[in-house]
Amino acid sequence: MAKKNINFLYQNLIKVRFKIILPLLLLTIIPYFSFIWVIAFNPMYFGTIIKNTNISIGILLGFLLILLIFLITLVYVYLANKKLEPLIFAIKND
Amino acid sequence: MINFILSHTSIMMFIFFVAITLYITYWASKRTQTAKGFYTAGGNITGLQNGLAISGDFMSAASFLGISGLVFLTGFDGLIYSIGFLIGWPIILLLIAEPLRNLGQYSFADVVSFRLQQKPIRILAACGSLSTVILYLIAQMVGAGKLIELLFNLPYEYAVIIVGGLMILYVTFGGMLATTWVQIIKAILLLSGATLIAFLVLAEFNFNFNILFAEAVNTHKKGLSIMSPGGLISDPVSAISLGLALMFGTAGLPHILMRFFTVSDAIQARKSVAYATGFIGYFYILTFIIGFGAIILVSNNPEYLSELGQLIGNNNMAAIHLSHAVGGDILLGFISAVAFATILAVVSGLTLAGASSISHDLYANAFLKGKQDEKKEMFVSKISTIFLGILAMFLGIIFEEQNVAFMVGLAFAIAASTNFPILILAIYWKNLTTRGAIVGGSAGLFSSILLVILGPVIWVDIFNFSSPIFPYKYPALFSMSITFLGIFIFSKFDTTKSSFLEKNLFDRQFMRSQTGVGIDKIITH
Repeated sequence: MAKKNINFLYQNLIKVRFKIILPLLLLTIIPYFSFIWVIAFNPMYFGTIIKNTNISIGILLGFLLILLIFLITLVYVYLANKKLEPLIFAIKND
Repeated sequence: MINFILSHTSIMMFIFFVAITLYITYWASKRTQTAKGFYTAGGNITGLQNGLAISGDFMSAASFLGISGLVFLTGFDGLIYSIGFLIGWPIILLLIAEPLRNLGQYSFADVVSFRLQQKPIRILAACGSLSTVILYLIAQMVGAGKLIELLFNLPYEYAVIIVGGLMILYVTFGGMLATTWVQIIKAILLLSGATLIAFLVLAEFNFNFNILFAEAVNTHKKGLSIMSPGGLISDPVSAISLGLALMFGTAGLPHILMRFFTVSDAIQARKSVAYATGFIGYFYILTFIIGFGAIILVSNNPEYLSELGQLIGNNNMAAIHLSHAVGGDILLGFISAVAFATILAVVSGLTLAGASSISHDLYANAFLKGKQDEKKEMFVSKISTIFLGILAMFLGIIFEEQNVAFMVGLAFAIAASTNFPILILAIYWKNLTTRGAIVGGSAGLFSSILLVILGPVIWVDIFNFSSPIFPYKYPALFSMSITFLGIFIFSKFDTTKSSFLEKNLFDRQFMRSQTGVGIDKIITH
């Protein structure tokens, strides 16, 4: 019985972790390679100055990308502590 | 002309830093008697401390001066490197940090060899680690020598010997504990110094980015083009290749991976990455502001230019000159001392990672085959530290006149093509076998080195051939494909007895990597 329970908890942990990691991983890889892609194929677009400012689209997006990367790490730590740790704790106790 | 010799402040501050760090080394030496103490600082560093230490390891003088110099020279292109150096961190956090902490003890090779054959895997991992570490060390040493020569007016060889000597003292006597605290202090100094410069720059422009960018465009001789991508990446293959090397190279740097064994558990490992990413991201935003500030405040000021109208020193000195422009001699002194501290901290971290690879992976596990003899292992680690330190000084002096900028790039390519693939597949791919890892990993190691040698950076710029045999500057796209393909084929068709055993061990290893169950058994022996 106990063994079955652990197995269930463990499978659940893997499932929950996967659900947390996958979107965050895509959110890291896709914006980054899109950024690099525009630099390679359409650099002029990034040079466009945003209306009523002196800041170019590329620089603004670059700053936002740095912010996004940091947010991803924060969101993961928050979700992992809240959702994964209780599951891990339960497995360790069983 | 700016007079570096008169900079008493910088010398005073530098001596103060050295005194404090040597005291820490003395304090740490009494707590670093065991292998666990030497490699992991006892394993009780907190998430915040480790986050600072990781950022200390990662924010080298090369990235502070190099990226702000690149922004000064080209504007936007500096941002491409900043983002590239940052993008590896979510990858480390999401895929590597926790399993690494749950499976390993002192080095990432512990994780790779968890269910594979110790001897060949340790040797491969050590080759990957040592090539990464030594290339990185040469680049740091040459940069350090040049910088200190200029800032403190010391002969190049003296500068290299001072850096090498201090680093040997820190690591040999203080191990990971001293190295960690040197990193933490340096990270705090560097972050505050950069914050101060950026603050003073922004204050000149009423904290208005519109004015900052407008003034920079007016001042820079390239005008509006500093706001858009320049020549750094011009074709899609280079774009993806550089992107891959930066993204996955960070996750294969042995001195960074080693830091995850200094915290108590996966929770702290996770936290430390978030802290580190925050500090490093903030730091890169500062370097961008510093680069733009230097365009406006340094590039037209005759005080900072040679007779030919070039920046005194080279473009990498933009941040240093800017500190004088906004904060006078005192800030210049402070930033010079910080730059020196930064170099010392980074080379110490690298040397420690290299030494532990020799003593823990090569000596204790490959040569002695894991027969625990802690005293001997400690002794070997100290000898290796001294050996690596002397090697770094020697190579630093040999490469003085060479262009070493490509070495960091090559280190990242090797990390992405050897260390990262074997680590990630060892954690997540059941079918990985010893044979697959050895064939794929060494193919990645050799191909990344070969492609850099045959590429434009060495073949044309250093060997002076008219055209490169391999047309791209960045090999990672090709070398990483070779690694993964090699590992895949040679693991899949591996029918040796041991390969079945290795595959069977995967489930237990995976459970431990995900939960940490079983970790206590190893730690309290």
